[in-house]
Amino acid sequence: MPLIETRALTKQYPGVMALNALDISVEPGVIGLVGANGAGKSTLIKILLGLLPPTRGTASVLDMDVRTEGRAIRDLVGYMPEHDCLPPDLSATEFVAHLAQVSGLPRVAARERTAETLRHVGLYEERYREMGGYSTGMKQRVKLAQALVHDPQLIFLDEPTNGLDPAGRDEMLDLVKRTGREFGIAVLMSSHLLGEIERVCDSLVVIDGGKLVRSGEVAEFTATLGSLEVEVEGDAAALAAALIERGFEARGEGFVAHVGLNGDDPYDAIRDCIVAMEMGLVRLEQRRQSLEDIFRPESAEAVRERV
Amino acid sequence: MSERAAGSIFDLGYRRYEGRRLGRRDAVLALYVHGLRASFGLGRRTRSKIFPIGLAIVAAVPAVVQIMIASLGAEGLDIFRAEDYYFYIEIILVLFVAVIAPELLGRDERHATLSLYFSRGLSRSEYAWARYGAMATALLALTLLPQAIMFLGNALVGDSFTGYFKDEWRQIGPIVAAGVLISLFLASIGLIIAAQTPRRAFATVGILAPFLLLTFISSALVSNIDNIVGRLGIFLNPLAVMDGFTRWLFNAESDGGPLMEAAFAGGWYFAFALALATIAVALLLRHYQRRSL
Repeated sequence: MPLIETRALTKQYPGVMALNALDISVEPGVIGLVGANGAGKSTLIKILLGLLPPTRGTASVLDMDVRTEGRAIRDLVGYMPEHDCLPPDLSATEFVAHLAQVSGLPRVAARERTAETLRHVGLYEERYREMGGYSTGMKQRVKLAQALVHDPQLIFLDEPTNGLDPAGRDEMLDLVKRTGREFGIAVLMSSHLLGEIERVCDSLVVIDGGKLVRSGEVAEFTATLGSLEVEVEGDAAALAAALIERGFEARGEGFVAHVGLNGDDPYDAIRDCIVAMEMGLVRLEQRRQSLEDIFRPESAEAVRERV
Repeated sequence: MSERAAGSIFDLGYRRYEGRRLGRRDAVLALYVHGLRASFGLGRRTRSKIFPIGLAIVAAVPAVVQIMIASLGAEGLDIFRAEDYYFYIEIILVLFVAVIAPELLGRDERHATLSLYFSRGLSRSEYAWARYGAMATALLALTLLPQAIMFLGNALVGDSFTGYFKDEWRQIGPIVAAGVLISLFLASIGLIIAAQTPRRAFATVGILAPFLLLTFISSALVSNIDNIVGRLGIFLNPLAVMDGFTRWLFNAESDGGPLMEAAFAGGWYFAFALALATIAVALLLRHYQRRSL
């Protein structure tokens, strides 16, 4: 069962086609939704939450129809909006506990879950202060906490790193990653920055102007362009030459050789060559090309040439 | 190694919630209670408490005055009677609605909290009902509470508690009925106006202005145009309607003013108030049903 599935999903606003016959099918995991501002990311999330009716087409989340089972979907998902949504004169504890109760948790459990969730997102003593005095980073954490507090199966994060400084951005991405990996909650995160998606997501949906550009696993996107970095105690250039002889793309300089991953699995070949040449293997690391390189074809070519 | 082990003891990691999940009713109840507390600024700073609690106290002043007079031994001297009570505090009631209604609805709009409610299992109608319930209940503190104080106070300072009770218990029905209906009526009007704007100041003025202006327009119509059209002008004034159905519930005559000039049977005011409140609530539900996020 796919986590999210859409068929010919279309949303027409007066004068604007926000989503245009979108076909998506994604499996559970951390999913990145990439697109420029105005590409239709927020519209898609709102449709998936059952907050906006689609003009045409169908969409299902956790195997439930967004048109008819929006409520049941919203019970099982969490939503972190892009915009500011916190009342400034309440404390994080009070506000998140209130929303937990609105999500159906009993009062005492709501308080416990709130304390736990706020600790998870890294909010400690500040949680008793009024949110009006919070930094953007703290506000984003509370927004994430309210989406997680009722322990959903899936959370929608709309531009979670918006407005954060680089350090805050790193921390937020880390949290998103942990949510997906350690907490076992599926995540759909939208962003206009490919680099962010690449760091935390397993799969990727790229939309532009309401149309699907590409969708698939992040590894799929990058693997074909990846290369292995092999550090040896010995002559890397000689190792590269040996590998080229066996039909691999390789290049060596000093102690480091780069081996292309385009062809057959090169791991055995590398091992055999190193053993044959009696070198010591120091490090074997997969170098992925960044997604930004893929979507900028000319630079991707440049990278390929370097290998 | 030992460090890691210690770390894992303190950091329990994320735990799934395996506990009980309550139904819709409890979720709506939580929202209702939250709204009711917010109405009086409970759990907020002192600043948010001053107006609502102050107005609630002012609304009870006539009751306290009445008890003091009664306790001085002036037997049978009722300065403030139950059926007149709302007439004396009507401006307090309107002020309270004008302060609280924008607080209940405008806040969620202003801070965009609405999207956090609507992205949960809660339905839009449930949101509107919870807010309406909170507003109406908050108003009960100004409509029923002073009446209760006055009734009990009169009974306690009199010669015989049971005697007073025996003579006056028939008042309890109308007191409760009028208090509840006034609260439902004013809450519906206040909320549908407050729902139109996220700006608190606009909403407050938007509630105060019609109440005050319509009072003048309505009494001018009733006193100056001596036919059915002029008399119908009484229904333009929600406060006169309120007074009208209150007197009808208490089975008391109006003692002058436009209400007597208009000379409609009290039941008409009652029916009109019910209809108006129903329409206002229906519009409120529609407003949130149509609200795009």
